[in-house]
Amino acid sequence: MEFKRGRFRLSLFCDTPEDTELQRKLDHEIRMREGACKLLAACSQREQALEATKSLLVCSSRILSYMGELQHRKEAQVLGRTARRPSDTGPPDERSPCRGTICISDIRIPLMWKDTEYFKNKGDLHRWAVFLLLQLGGNIQDTEMVLVDRTLTDISFQSSVLFTEAGPDFELRLELYGACVEEEGALAGAPRRLASKLSNSLGRSSGRRVRASLESAGGSGGSSAASPILLPTPAVGGPRYHLLAQTVLTLASVQDGFRTHDLTLTSNEESPAWLPLYGSVCCRLAAQPLCMTQPVMSGTLRVQSWGQVHGILKGTNLFCYRHPGEANAQEDPLFTIAINKETRVRAGERDQTLGAPLTLSISNQYGGDEVTHTLQMESRGALQRWMEALWQLFFDMSQWKQCCDELMKIEVPPPRKPPPALAKQGSLYHEMAIEPLDDIAAVTDILAKREGPPLDVPPHWLALFTEKLPTSKLPIHAPRSPSPPRACPGPRATPWGRPRTLSLDAAPRGRPPLPPRSSSSSSSGSGSPAPRQRSPPAQGFRAKARPWLQSPV
Amino acid sequence: MSYVPGQPVTAVVQRVEIHKLRQGENLILGFSIGGGIDQDPAQNPFSEDKTDKGIYVTRVSEGGPAEVAGLQIGDKIMQVNGWDMTMVTHDQARKRLTKRSEEVVRLLVTRQGLQKAVQQSMLA
Repeated sequence: MEFKRGRFRLSLFCDTPEDTELQRKLDHEIRMREGACKLLAACSQREQALEATKSLLVCSSRILSYMGELQHRKEAQVLGRTARRPSDTGPPDERSPCRGTICISDIRIPLMWKDTEYFKNKGDLHRWAVFLLLQLGGNIQDTEMVLVDRTLTDISFQSSVLFTEAGPDFELRLELYGACVEEEGALAGAPRRLASKLSNSLGRSSGRRVRASLESAGGSGGSSAASPILLPTPAVGGPRYHLLAQTVLTLASVQDGFRTHDLTLTSNEESPAWLPLYGSVCCRLAAQPLCMTQPVMSGTLRVQSWGQVHGILKGTNLFCYRHPGEANAQEDPLFTIAINKETRVRAGERDQTLGAPLTLSISNQYGGDEVTHTLQMESRGALQRWMEALWQLFFDMSQWKQCCDELMKIEVPPPRKPPPALAKQGSLYHEMAIEPLDDIAAVTDILAKREGPPLDVPPHWLALFTEKLPTSKLPIHAPRSPSPPRACPGPRATPWGRPRTLSLDAAPRGRPPLPPRSSSSSSSGSGSPAPRQRSPPAQGFRAKARPWLQSPV
Repeated sequence: MSYVPGQPVTAVVQRVEIHKLRQGENLILGFSIGGGIDQDPAQNPFSEDKTDKGIYVTRVSEGGPAEVAGLQIGDKIMQVNGWDMTMVTHDQARKRLTKRSEEVVRLLVTRQGLQKAVQQSMLA
């Protein structure tokens, strides 16, 4: 294959439409990354810095992935020109399975606190910011950042993530990254403290280099065979995310329901952002292959005893309508023939009354009987096309396996809202040094939890408590107590933070519980609560005053 | 549907998928719940076992999303979107159903007669 030098170069750099698209995406990510760096430099609050660092990391990882893809494509172009690839001359009926959409939603990662930590809730409340990075092929997406502390039993992510154009051999990599919300200096071991001291005293650029070298020396210990998706952070001096756990999900994990998968934990107790993960992740991984949602083939057929119909092959059914207009009008089909893994299709000459040889017969087993439909085509070309469509459908079904049994529902997630302006939840927490009396804390706990839909006007009964609480050293913050659950993105963080239980905190165990209160303490009295199970905070208080509660939802 | 503390609970359940309806600011499902581990189970008119502290459907509004999805009055809700509802307080249950970020809730519900219906269909 001869090429003039100039022309070879031209062909090497001649971009296909896919390449320009990729280049455009790469440029976009580079611009986003620059923006994130600037934002990070301008941040004053730790939470903002965490969000900016997260955007930065996601952009970096996307850049890495796009660059790798571009490189790969250029290589393939070069190889394609210099050597004939075996697949080009392969048999023409090499089938490729159809693409599909993968959706992962309702992700929940349980945590395993020591019960002394969880129930006593003493000492500084360490908080972590965590997020998930998901990669399928060249597509990288992230979830929102969630703040976690030891009052939570699980990390739950509300967002659902959608990947289009996935094949049945997909590998969805899930990586959990975490960072401490508090400044790392206090917690980290000596080398980091030294590094920050050095970096502060040596001046920005040299300090940065020192820190980067120390970090890269210490941080590479945890990587396993597959390197994490993230690029190393450019040492901009912001918070640092660490890889806490990862896993890979494939077609075998797809199910129209919730399933628990194992997580490979990659950090140990020495890592500054270590969280006690239980070791599993629970989520709903659904897949919708295109063959289930889009019509594969349609055309006019003649079916015995039904006459001429318009057939549409979609998913596991062949819908037959009287005319094409009916299908568009979304009316019920005249009849439906099931097409699934057990269906048998035969072409060719059959002895039947219509007399024409261009037929297709589809047989299904219903219970003990075999039902056969005979379809007659208009032309040999039509017969070929239908056969081809059916073989492709069967191939797709064999590749996508359980996804083709029934259509799994996938909701397109609404565009993610920008992270809400984080209220000063952290400082509210640390400034409250109160020793509440049992009843007041219990009642205000319930009131804070019962907040429900955000209240624009503080409810009238709150005035009762705003008068009481200042006496226990809380002047300004008390009226805001119902609102933090609204502003804070984390679930279930009460201002007081302690899930109060009457039975554990108040009376000694020996006292028999009163009947109205039995409902709260019997649940914990009947067996020592596992650290992950929560007893309700003094709800017996309410049960005493009210009949059996009913709530509309 | 009685249970022995410490032993696993088994039940024949039905999947119900409810798409919430938007009413102004709120997303509603169109039914009411009763019960919870903080409530008095003796007052539950729908439970077979009067010590059962689970979450029951006490009312289904006509033509609402729950009725359309097949939820019936008297159903006991076992799970919502993967979260357990057999050992929750009333308020926790209400909150799990009314999350503003979720437009669809997938419930697992059980009702009296489901077990029997399954057994009969297997024998037939």
